[in-house]
Amino acid sequence: MSASDPKGNFKPQDAPRYDDVLQCMRCGFCLPTCPTYALTGRERSSPRGRVALARAVAEEKLEFTEAVKEEAFFCLDCRACTTACPSGVRAGEVMEICRSQAHAFYPLGKAGKAFREFILRKMLPSPELMETSMLPTRLYQRLGIQWLVRHSKVLKLAPEWMAKAEGMLPDLEKPLRTQLPEVVPARGEKRGRVAFFLGCVMTLMYPGVSRQTVRVLAHQGFDVVTPAQAKCCGAPHLSEGDRETARSLARFNIDLFLSHDVDAIVTDCAGCGAALKEYEEILEEIEDHDRLALFRSKIRDISEFLAEKGLRTEGMRQVKTTVTYHEPCHLCHAQGISSQPREILRRIPGVELREMSESSWCCGSAATWGLKYSEESRQVLERKLGNARQTGAEILVTANPGCQLQLAWGVRETGQKQEVLHLMELLGRAIPD
Amino acid sequence: MISKAAIAHLQEKLGEKNVYHEKEDLLVLGYDSTPGVHHLPEVVVYPTSTDEVIAAMEIARREGLAVTPRGSGTGLSGGSVPVKGGMVLCLTRMNRIVEVDEENLTATAEAGVVTLDLFNAVAAKGLFYPPDPGSQKISTLGGNVAENAGGLRGLKYGVTRDYVMALKGVLADLSVVSTGGKSVKDVAGYGFKDLLVGSEGTLGIVTEITVKLIPPPQAKRTILAYFGDVRTAGEAVSRIIAAKIIPSTMEIMDRATINCVEDYVKIGLPRHMAALLLIEVDGHPAPVAEEAEAVRRVLEQVGAAEIHVAENAGEAASLAAARRTALSALARVSPTTLLEDATVPRSRLAETFAEIERLADKYRLKVGTFGHAGDGNLHPTVLCDERNEDEMKRAHDFYFELYDQVLAWGGTVSGEHGIGMAKKEYLARQIGEGGVRVMKRIKRSFDPDGIFNPGKIFDEGDSSTRPHVEEGFRVSE
Repeated sequence: MSASDPKGNFKPQDAPRYDDVLQCMRCGFCLPTCPTYALTGRERSSPRGRVALARAVAEEKLEFTEAVKEEAFFCLDCRACTTACPSGVRAGEVMEICRSQAHAFYPLGKAGKAFREFILRKMLPSPELMETSMLPTRLYQRLGIQWLVRHSKVLKLAPEWMAKAEGMLPDLEKPLRTQLPEVVPARGEKRGRVAFFLGCVMTLMYPGVSRQTVRVLAHQGFDVVTPAQAKCCGAPHLSEGDRETARSLARFNIDLFLSHDVDAIVTDCAGCGAALKEYEEILEEIEDHDRLALFRSKIRDISEFLAEKGLRTEGMRQVKTTVTYHEPCHLCHAQGISSQPREILRRIPGVELREMSESSWCCGSAATWGLKYSEESRQVLERKLGNARQTGAEILVTANPGCQLQLAWGVRETGQKQEVLHLMELLGRAIPD
Repeated sequence: MISKAAIAHLQEKLGEKNVYHEKEDLLVLGYDSTPGVHHLPEVVVYPTSTDEVIAAMEIARREGLAVTPRGSGTGLSGGSVPVKGGMVLCLTRMNRIVEVDEENLTATAEAGVVTLDLFNAVAAKGLFYPPDPGSQKISTLGGNVAENAGGLRGLKYGVTRDYVMALKGVLADLSVVSTGGKSVKDVAGYGFKDLLVGSEGTLGIVTEITVKLIPPPQAKRTILAYFGDVRTAGEAVSRIIAAKIIPSTMEIMDRATINCVEDYVKIGLPRHMAALLLIEVDGHPAPVAEEAEAVRRVLEQVGAAEIHVAENAGEAASLAAARRTALSALARVSPTTLLEDATVPRSRLAETFAEIERLADKYRLKVGTFGHAGDGNLHPTVLCDERNEDEMKRAHDFYFELYDQVLAWGGTVSGEHGIGMAKKEYLARQIGEGGVRVMKRIKRSFDPDGIFNPGKIFDEGDSSTRPHVEEGFRVSE
């Protein structure tokens, strides 16, 4: 702790940097971009208000109260405010750090703590454990219990989030991780060699999407290496305020991926991409800077990568359809990737892109936020679905599994006639076998 | 100090969700966008109708609380900061657009309507509400009226005052006043409406506003020019006006700002240039094309180093990119951004830039200047760190001396941000002791007990109204 970086009423471990909160000039440009401010009209639930609360804690004008904790978790961490901020304040990240403070100030009860630690420290870091844990869920679907549960409406009796979580489940296939070959060779004229970072949600919930991503990369002329030992990117840990585990996962993945000689490390999950790009910051004080910079320089979202290399469209099949595009927060706001997915969409033969209004407004999924605040999440989702509906497009395209789960659930629940696809699924349809 | 009973009473009248009194809420409702000022209110209320405004004020009067109106808190002179604590009356939940009258070309909206929302609502009917303050995406009409906000289009289209036709509001004696109307002409008695516009919430609470609308321009052309020295840029501005062309926008940026923008977005701006001018002409297509050509000719004649004329909307957007990014680029350089709005007669533009440069050197400060060249309205922006007391002192001295010169040239200490608490001493220099005395008498005739937004515009000799003082947290158990 120093005079220039006072921690005030924060715990010294993982506290917001004072400079980061001081940077806010309170212009309010973030207010119209914040979904929680739009919902509540309450300043403390806005980015400017949240940063001011953090500053008050640092300046010892406020204890780290329950309300501060509440705001840290009520923030969607959608980063729309980061995009809007003239002075470069990252309120979402300040709130992420406050979540970790919240756990220090308000430790969970024994059972809660054990459960949280089991999920964040045992299960998520282990691909094998996660695969095993999904087995009952797959059986649940296979054996028709899901059909029974959905039709008998027994979940109406359970807490709301549980019914929603159940309703969001896509049809599960076998996890992709165990099926994907270590190396998938390039097709046609070879353009390079990339590593594919297969995210947890992708392999478990959307193996079909990532299968297409690998197919696309190969078709575009890249050898695709998928290291099966890769661990969770750490995004859930950052979001839940467990920065320690996030750091150890980050170090593991850096070692693993830098051991491969590849031009780029590509992911099709915006959440993973954003987290991987943040390794440089969360490890700033403990890792070698050159290694961090090297790793950072290789990370690409799939659309970013394809736009950069130029999409080869020769021999692609026509996909005659109209689409609209929902921008994942962790793609457009956290990574600044907004034009690239659209560029890809426009280049797919036969596809007509119809822009929706507020395309970069959050869908209300936001990791576990959508389950914790299910009513608020429903309102945010309604706004999004309305905008998507107005375009009259046949397909609603996005580029992140969290959004895809939420949007697919939303259209199912409301009977909206739109197919929800990941950009790579759509692109996959254009690629000949 | 507010009593528990009063809070309960407010909750009963306005609904529990429209009354905040917890520390975490109060802490974030006692600031606006003005650096260094922050005071805590004792209670914050969000009325949803004029009747609720009256109800809240009745309780405030009984409790002896000062009442400070607030919109979205984007002001740049501390207008909505509750210097004396008391009640902050936040109007953001009075946000209905009451009507758009296409026959009379007016729109009527509650004070909490966001400026851009009104713009969009009237645009949907093919009409145009021109005032466009920098914070239009979130600033409220009520706040715009209170501060008489300007914007980029001020040169051709004027500022908020030029569009206000009628106001409805609540006075200190709890009576409702309606002033002005939809009649284009109205000379009945004193112009109350004009007194209320720009009164910064010191005379009454404006709850409803009727504004004038105009047909939107059909076409627009964008021109960007670079200059090797600021004097030439200043000359270009004067010569364009002298050629009887009134651009809708004529924005200027100095070398420091150009370099900050280039550092930030790397779009290939020429770093060695002393200034850039972004000019837009709008109106009917034929005259617009002629005016664009005439502007280009003037720029050539004065010897602009580079001239770019946009051929289409895409090019126009890319020409405007640097100006659009100016504030972001400057604000990133340092923790604290002091944004002022010194304004001079257009003909003094080049001299003002020279003076700013001289003073920045003298006080060893990093200053970037951009602004509305056509209006002579500049934003000399000091990039500093509020933790550095010496630097803050020098920044203060910088503005003090700059304003001396601005006033000597017949300029004003505020073109569009208002006086608030930040510029009281400057105002006294501009209008003199006599001027301040008259203003105080006007204030007293509207608000004899001084309950509305105390401590703004002029000093009332009360030590608690000095700026840069952060008050402790006060609320009774």
